[in-house]
Amino acid sequence: MTFFSLTLILIALITFVAGQLFLKKAMEFASRSSFRNPGFMWLLSAGICSMAISFFLTLGLLQHFDLSYLYPFQGLSIIFISLLAAIVLKEKLTLQLTIGALLISAGVALVSLS
Amino acid sequence: MRDRPSGFFNPWFQLVLSVACVLASELLLKRGASDTANPANAWSWTGISGLASPLVWWAIGLIIISFLSWLYVLRYIPLTIAFPMSRVVDVLVPLGCWIFLGEVISARRWVGIALVIIGLAVLAKPVAHFEERL
Repeated sequence: MTFFSLTLILIALITFVAGQLFLKKAMEFASRSSFRNPGFMWLLSAGICSMAISFFLTLGLLQHFDLSYLYPFQGLSIIFISLLAAIVLKEKLTLQLTIGALLISAGVALVSLS
Repeated sequence: MRDRPSGFFNPWFQLVLSVACVLASELLLKRGASDTANPANAWSWTGISGLASPLVWWAIGLIIISFLSWLYVLRYIPLTIAFPMSRVVDVLVPLGCWIFLGEVISARRWVGIALVIIGLAVLAKPVAHFEERL
């Protein structure tokens, strides 16, 4: 485990989270205007590009590490997405949503650790 | 809030469809990859040899369907609710491996599965609240 590989894991996580936020934003845009809107196309492309970067980084990481080592980080994505959806997309993050997200993250981490 | 479509276009149904497609695609990919595994081949690490299996093509189709229904879900359901719920697939995949592929689930994994189910139960109330507003 080097500083370099940890950085790559973090970038893979951040690009995945950013991709989901872009897609959500794109669909919000589409429901307000039309699908042929340039804003929608830009956000959709940004989301797909971001997720593609995450996909290939993860594929590269999988060639060096076990899936059971990398996958628990996936549990973190739930926490990041919930937090950023609240901050960036102004979604309401209630106590119950937070507890639910934390429990699911912990569960996903445990399932993938073994 | 706009009217919520019912039946096939109900966003909750689409969330279930998206998760079911991811689950089925993972199991099909594993079966297809095992069927076509040939570690002696120099190209095996790219995964391209897997395309020889029709199961892999079914899996690719399912992944595309799950992406489209996920986009539809995002149109109606907040990310703070939809994303944690979609991660139920991380529990369904090991359960599917246990039922369909005969793999073993460790004690630690069962605890994780239980935690995810409790987490989903906690989410149920905000979901009901969100439904009222919809």
